[in-house]
Amino acid sequence: MHGEYKTPGGKLVKVDYTVRDGQFAGVVVSGDFFLYPEDAITAINAALDGSAVSTSEAEIAAHITAAVGNDVVFLGFSPEAIARAMLRGMEGTS
Amino acid sequence: MNEHTRWRDHKWRLLPAAPRSPAMNMALDVVLTDGIASGECPPTLRFWGWDRSCVILGRFQSVQNEIDAENAAAAEVSLVRRITGGGAMFQQPTGAITYSLTAPESLVAGMTFSESYAFLDAWVVNGLRAMGVDASYVPLNDISSSTGKIGGAAQARRNGAVLHHTMVACELDTELMAKVLRIGREKLSDKGITSAAKRVSPLRQQTDLPRDEIVRRLTAPFATQCDLRDEPLHEDEIARAEALAAAQFASDAWTYLLP
Repeated sequence: MHGEYKTPGGKLVKVDYTVRDGQFAGVVVSGDFFLYPEDAITAINAALDGSAVSTSEAEIAAHITAAVGNDVVFLGFSPEAIARAMLRGMEGTS
Repeated sequence: MNEHTRWRDHKWRLLPAAPRSPAMNMALDVVLTDGIASGECPPTLRFWGWDRSCVILGRFQSVQNEIDAENAAAAEVSLVRRITGGGAMFQQPTGAITYSLTAPESLVAGMTFSESYAFLDAWVVNGLRAMGVDASYVPLNDISSSTGKIGGAAQARRNGAVLHHTMVACELDTELMAKVLRIGREKLSDKGITSAAKRVSPLRQQTDLPRDEIVRRLTAPFATQCDLRDEPLHEDEIARAEALAAAQFASDAWTYLLP
C-alpha cells in the first residue's frame, strides 16, 4: 500500500506498507520533510508497525507522538500528516 | 545552549568550489560539522563543486518513490543521499550554486528552526536582490522570485553544531530534472501549478552575468557581515572526508537506506 499527504505550505509525506492479519506491517515513512533528531524516524516506523488498520487518524497520530516523546521536532509535517498519508493508502481497499 | 553569537563573533573560512564526487561533497558536510563540535574546524562557508551530475536525496526520501532509475541511468546521473532532510536536489556541474554553512549552534540560539533557515540565508537573498533578482525567502526553506522557485535549503544539528546547505538553481536543465525526479501531483497540490519543470526558475532566466561573477556577488554580503578568509581544506579534513565517503556515502547501504 502507498499513501501520500502534503501538509499545505509544508512537506510531502509518503507511507508504504503492507497489511497482514488486519494490521499495518513493514511501515516505511518517507518524504521531503525535516525531523529532528533524524533517528526518530526509526521509532515512528516501529510505532506504526502492528497497528490495526481500523485505527483512526487521531489515534495513529497520538501513537506516533507517544512513541517519539516531546523533544522531537516535526518540521513541515506532523504526526497527523503521517496518519493521514497512511490511511489514504487504504482508500479504495476494504 | 544559552549563549548567543553573531556572524561577526566568528572568524569564517571560505572554501571556493572544487570539483568533487557526490559522496565526497556529502562527507565534507559531516566532517566540517563534526569539526565544529570538536573545535578542529573553523566556521566555514563552502561552495560545492561537482565532477558529475547527480541527484542528492534527502535523508528521509525513498529511492523508488523519488527517482526514475531508468532515466537517471540513461542520462548518467548518479545518486547519493545526504544527512539532512528535505527534498531531492538535481545537480549538474554548472547547474546550480550550492553552499554549506557549518557553525556553532550558538549562531542560531533562541531562534525557531523556521527562523534559523531564513536567518542563515538572508545574505544570499540580499545578494540576489543586489543583482536585480526579486528574491525573497518563503518559509520553510525556499528562495523564490516572482517567476518561481530559485533555491532551497536543508539543515541538520549535531553536538552543538549547525549544518545549513542551500542550492540556488543557475543553469539547471529543468526538463532533464523532471525526467529524473518523480514529482507527483500531491507534491504540487498546493502550488497552483501542474509541472515540476515550471516550478523551478533558474537564475539564468533573470541574469546574464557569468557564473563566477554571480558567486562573487552572492558572497559579497556575507563578507561584509563578518570576517571571511580564503583558506584551503586541511589535509586531515580531506583524509577524514575521503574515508567517510568510502565507508558511508558511496555505499549502497546508505544510498538505499530507504529503497
